[in-house]
Amino acid sequence: MLDIKNLSASIEDKKILENFNLNIKPGEVHAIMGPNGSGKSTLANVLSGRKGYTVEGKVYYEGNDLLEIPIEERAQKGIFLAFQYPIEIPGVNTNIFLKTSLNAIRKFRGLKELDALDFLKLVKEKSKKLKIEEKILSRQLNVGFSGGEKKKNEILQMTILEPKLAILDETDSGLDIDALRIVSDGVNSLRDKKRSFLIITHYQRLLDYIKPDFVHVLINGKIVKTGSSDLALELEKDGYEGVSITK
Amino acid sequence: MNLKFEEFQKSNLGFEELDNIRIKNFKSFETQGFPTKKQEQWKYTDMRNIISNNFQDLQIFDKNKDSHYNNELLVKDFEHNKIVLLNGKFVESNFTFENDKKIKIKSLKKIFENKNDFDKIKNYFEDEQNSLILLNHALTNDGILLDIEDNYSFNKPLVIYNFFDKAVENKIVNNKFFISLGEKSNLSLVDFYRCEDNIKYFNNTIHNYTIKKNATLKKFSINDSLDNSYNYNSVKIKSYSNSIFENFLLSLGPNLIKNEIHCNLLEDFSSCFVNGIMLLNGDQHHELKTNINHKYENCKSSQLIKSVLLDKSNGTYQGKIFVDKRAQKTNGYQLSKALLLSENSEFNSKPELEIYADDVKCSHGSTIGNIDENAIFYLMSRGLSKFQASKIIVEGFLNEAIETITDPIIKIFVSKLFNERINKVNV
Repeated sequence: MLDIKNLSASIEDKKILENFNLNIKPGEVHAIMGPNGSGKSTLANVLSGRKGYTVEGKVYYEGNDLLEIPIEERAQKGIFLAFQYPIEIPGVNTNIFLKTSLNAIRKFRGLKELDALDFLKLVKEKSKKLKIEEKILSRQLNVGFSGGEKKKNEILQMTILEPKLAILDETDSGLDIDALRIVSDGVNSLRDKKRSFLIITHYQRLLDYIKPDFVHVLINGKIVKTGSSDLALELEKDGYEGVSITK
Repeated sequence: MNLKFEEFQKSNLGFEELDNIRIKNFKSFETQGFPTKKQEQWKYTDMRNIISNNFQDLQIFDKNKDSHYNNELLVKDFEHNKIVLLNGKFVESNFTFENDKKIKIKSLKKIFENKNDFDKIKNYFEDEQNSLILLNHALTNDGILLDIEDNYSFNKPLVIYNFFDKAVENKIVNNKFFISLGEKSNLSLVDFYRCEDNIKYFNNTIHNYTIKKNATLKKFSINDSLDNSYNYNSVKIKSYSNSIFENFLLSLGPNLIKNEIHCNLLEDFSSCFVNGIMLLNGDQHHELKTNINHKYENCKSSQLIKSVLLDKSNGTYQGKIFVDKRAQKTNGYQLSKALLLSENSEFNSKPELEIYADDVKCSHGSTIGNIDENAIFYLMSRGLSKFQASKIIVEGFLNEAIETITDPIIKIFVSKLFNERINKVNV
């Protein structure tokens, strides 16, 4: 699904990721944990195509050179990034935006575009499943949303767009237990043999709800340790410093 | 410039008083000429320059040869009453949905034929600084006078059609609208412009509205259709106790338009709302100048103008809130937000607050900027192309102003016209 080879990324001569390697197979859930400034968000940004980074190395997505694919096409080809800080866009109705987005993706995949009625039906079903209040969708996109609402909105978008690879950039930070459950329910409901997840997080907490296949520890732009979900528990106990020492 | 006033004067002779008003005002106009940017009010729209650059031989439009207009231009699938003007001259009216005993409509031409009628409006021809208004006083020979009795609420909106055709090519059209809304009466008024042929003309219209106690006038200025016209529109409102005036501008179409709104809140608890959008491209030049005069206690005013400028277009908002010393407890607000989408576009914003009372709440804000790159990235990361992303952001940005429309039927109507226009614009 995703094969990252010797990826380096820097901003204005400051190296953030260095010779980063990661291979995610279809159906796998990978968690990346690391302290502040270790390069977690940079990884998410580079994968989704945000400008401003000098990037070296290769990233293959379904065998294609991901770094050469335009931003919107990455989304159309099935990559979804749940933002750490979802952007507020005044005046843009969430439903209308989401319908445009879904139809752009469906069109790319050769599926029939949904009309307003079918779309609303889909949204109703998905939001009910996640116990997300449907009315946030008739509001302006992320405008005046609480931190929790913004993250829930990201997860709802994810379940509607049904990506092949979902990248969650610290989606759990700042969430209360209920919201955390909604986020993890969203992920768990989408888990299947074909779909992969890359979950970026500070804390082990989220991984109580989403059991990853692999946990990687990212420090100073490099993966310093990889293990099973138990590794997250170790981190919780000993902290990131503990990992650095045992390295 | 060589306006043939004497010719016009001869063909419009009436009773002496009116003739003298024409002569006096034309003389004053001749001394001043068209307004220039040296005058503060015209700083951003140099009318003299614009006219000399665009009209080689501007002439006065006098009368229609026939008053046939194109039916196809009437708005369909929208129940409404109508008043039709062709080239500024009254043609017909139809109040199908109303009790027409409550409504009096006369053409200004008819008013000018009757001394008693004229006496009722002659104080609207008083001295003026603004030379375009002087010219209008001198050259107006038609328009409408609409009187709505007390306690009458319109069932359907009233559309005033301002149609123009080839006859006004290179001509200046002058007219006046007088509208008086009785106590506790309600009217939604759509001022709608269409020019059939792609010709250059100058339209100079002065509106005088009186909104009596507890009445509500909602006015929609619809300049949506792209054309080659040059326009000056001045609206003067007298608002009495507890009345509401709402003005929405859809400023999208003509080459040039300067809209002025002078609202006088004369009695307590009257309110005035001016909202609107400008979406300009090519060489379009639009200006909105407002002057909200709080003359009495406890009045409220609010303004929201959203503008998007492309290509070499030029937009201006000069918003003034004046608070008289007796106008305590005034609540005044204005906000202008503009997006410049090209390096060659220009937007000027001049908020002015002039406050003489000490217990008031007045605020203003003005922003001019570009589309937020983070917003574009967010939308593109959801599969939207850059064009789709920009478009949805621009639409949303302007929609915030459309959302202020409180008449649901007209909101749908305005949204439709807005969508038709924005779909033709390359953001």
